[in-house]
Amino acid sequence: MTTSDQVLLSVTMLRPEEKLLLGALRDEGLTARPLLMEDLAEIVAGRSGPPALALIRNLSHRDAISVSRRLEHAGVPTLNRAATIETCNDKGLQSLLFAQHGIPHPDTRHAFSIDQVRKTVTDMGMPAVVKPVSGSWGRGVSKMTHLDCVEAWAAGRESADVTGKQFPVVVQAYVDKPGHDLRVVVVGRTPVVAIQRVSDDWRTNTHLGAEVRRVEVSAEMEKLCSQVVDALGPGFYGVDLVEDRSTDELLVLEVNANPEFARSSAQHGVNVAGHLAAYVAETLTASAV
Amino acid sequence: MDMTLATTVASCLVCDTEFEVREDWEKGEITECGSCGQEHEVVEKSAAGIRLDLAPEVEEDWGE
Repeated sequence: MTTSDQVLLSVTMLRPEEKLLLGALRDEGLTARPLLMEDLAEIVAGRSGPPALALIRNLSHRDAISVSRRLEHAGVPTLNRAATIETCNDKGLQSLLFAQHGIPHPDTRHAFSIDQVRKTVTDMGMPAVVKPVSGSWGRGVSKMTHLDCVEAWAAGRESADVTGKQFPVVVQAYVDKPGHDLRVVVVGRTPVVAIQRVSDDWRTNTHLGAEVRRVEVSAEMEKLCSQVVDALGPGFYGVDLVEDRSTDELLVLEVNANPEFARSSAQHGVNVAGHLAAYVAETLTASAV
Repeated sequence: MDMTLATTVASCLVCDTEFEVREDWEKGEITECGSCGQEHEVVEKSAAGIRLDLAPEVEEDWGE
């Protein structure tokens, strides 16, 4: 039980997303302030009063895991939970979790060496996609359409990572999408908005220029998000879904524990920060009872 | 007076050009010099004013 109304917003830097969140939390009557890495020592030492909750919004994956773990061990609840952030920041761990929970997901395998990438791509058949386990914004994601692609990827890898420290990677079956993927923002257990990310590129990250179009949350999207929340626990997520044109099946591609929303909110008109702040206020009220 | 419109003046750490920072900016927030485009991070904010540092560069493990 806590009577504190203090909410910390752990950040690498304060982007428009976090600025919106601070405003929304304060509108809910909470005391919200940014938490930078240098402020963490006094918080975990208990020198600045017990916060009721910390929202983990660090851009840096390492920092997000480190901060959430330390806060959790100091008795400060975090959103999302540290274990959830760890899973979401690793596409390999996500694929294992999805398999355990029967969540529809493209065939995804770990590879711990260049030779294993060659063999796995050959076994799965091309096209296949090779991804770093902890990449974001579409960085380092390669489509293998021919053995020459695999050899070009291997040559680059040998140059940049002689000792193989950047392994594992995941090799994933390529999903032939209908020119867009879907991003559903989940607050608590509730999908609050869904968008199509439309692009001519096979990668549909908004960071790579994909256009945002709001769509209704369908029953199928809701069901998949519910399965994801059952596996990860309630939290704040960006759930990425892809439609496979060859089977019409909707698959969960990945889940982001630190979804961006400032630019997309401006386009789809849903106040994501307001939904999240209201959820935080409700959660704190419930835990104080 | 509407505090959200109030500004304070800071000097760019790269080109020394003075630029205005709104007073409702928070610690950790990023602001840009209008002259050279250098991004700055607000590292301290007090009654005495604000202190800026160069904004962090995008790193390998950054992402949403």
